[in-house]
Amino acid sequence: MTTIHVITKENQQLYGDRLEEYFRLRHEVFVEERGWRDLHRPDGREIDAYDNGNAVYLLAIDQDRVVGGQRLYPTVLPHMLSEVFGHMAQRGLPRADRIFEWTRYFVIKERRMGRTDCRLLAAVQQFCLEEGITELTAVVEMWWLPRWQQVGFKVRPLGLPTMVEGQPCIAAAIRISAESLEHVSRLAGLRGAFLSRDSEASSDLDRVPYVAA
Amino acid sequence: MPLSDRAFDYATEAFAFIDGLDDLTSPDDVVEAVARAFSLFGFENFIMTGLPNPKERFEQVVLLKKWPMGWFDIYAKQDYVRSDPIIRLCKNTTQPFEWSEAPYDPMTERKAAEVMDRATDFRMREGFCLPIHGINGYEACFSMSGVDLDLSPRTKPALHLMAMYAFERARQLLEAKPPVAPSLLSPREREALIWAAAGKSAADTGEILGITERTVTAHIVSACQKLEAVNKTQAVARALQYKLIRL
Repeated sequence: MTTIHVITKENQQLYGDRLEEYFRLRHEVFVEERGWRDLHRPDGREIDAYDNGNAVYLLAIDQDRVVGGQRLYPTVLPHMLSEVFGHMAQRGLPRADRIFEWTRYFVIKERRMGRTDCRLLAAVQQFCLEEGITELTAVVEMWWLPRWQQVGFKVRPLGLPTMVEGQPCIAAAIRISAESLEHVSRLAGLRGAFLSRDSEASSDLDRVPYVAA
Repeated sequence: MPLSDRAFDYATEAFAFIDGLDDLTSPDDVVEAVARAFSLFGFENFIMTGLPNPKERFEQVVLLKKWPMGWFDIYAKQDYVRSDPIIRLCKNTTQPFEWSEAPYDPMTERKAAEVMDRATDFRMREGFCLPIHGINGYEACFSMSGVDLDLSPRTKPALHLMAMYAFERARQLLEAKPPVAPSLLSPREREALIWAAAGKSAADTGEILGITERTVTAHIVSACQKLEAVNKTQAVARALQYKLIRL
């Protein structure tokens, strides 16, 4: 069965191989499948400036195999929406220590028909609720919006759709709520806590440098 | 007005429309709000509908519509949904498109040409369509049309966003509605009442729907019983009151 693991700076030594696999899968999905050539790297690992100690990964792992993943990054630090896609947030860019940016979401090809999607989406709501994160920001392809809405996510557009790599995309803010978690958990067939946190529990927010200024 | 100001206006319009959707409490409210906002772009008609699987009928999967009187009946009766090039492209793309971009071969696909041609009789000459691909294989579309549309790289992003949010609001409100109301009357009973509301006799209605006058009367009688109405006039009034039919 697929479990969603929380990986941070603190416990990433436990996930060395899985993280390597995750970066390779990102290259397969985003560069080879989606054709985002700017992300191409000769070593076949898609890693960018935000893959550092401030990132949190929620990886879907089934029997030692990564089948999907997503990344969270503090918006008080320079992040993708502030540095690269700022023009897409014409209504203003939410930045606060309780707001994280949500990027590099994917499910591997052979799992796209099942419940892995809903599990990853449930995991992000659950993790944020536990950590006191109130909102996520993201750039997403427009055709994804109904999927988020149908799993109960509350999505606020930050601007009009803009073409990115030939696809209309939008900058959006997603409100974290127990209601959304309940809705998506029901669709994912999940009950109770389901996040795996292999480490001494320490709030992930504690290590975020609060240095917006 | 300079281009940049116009573009800004579309953005403002789109965000105001989206924010206002939360205040709507019924599917009819969505129809009204969409009709008002989308008329600014030249749209006169629209439909939000699921894409029927081979066993479903078109009428069963329609969510909302503001379609010309008569066209819905023709479309359903002819089962155009199986040959409509707009519907076909919807299944195969995630991007919104103009009707003129939906390919078909008028020589070999007679019925596809027919549906596009007959639509123009109802002022549905140009159109814009947004495919919806949801979770668990859910497929739907929001198709809108008119005779003189303001479709450009400046207006399309605003329309795209507005359409997506309007569809979602309609879906939510219809999901929340108790299932008793829509199934109270059969599609034929509703149609018979709609034509009665338009002042048509049972004979006229039979002509329009391509069924006998006796069958029309049977539908009306059945609707009267279900609505506990003493006659056709009261049945129409009640169906309107309960929002089972719309004019």
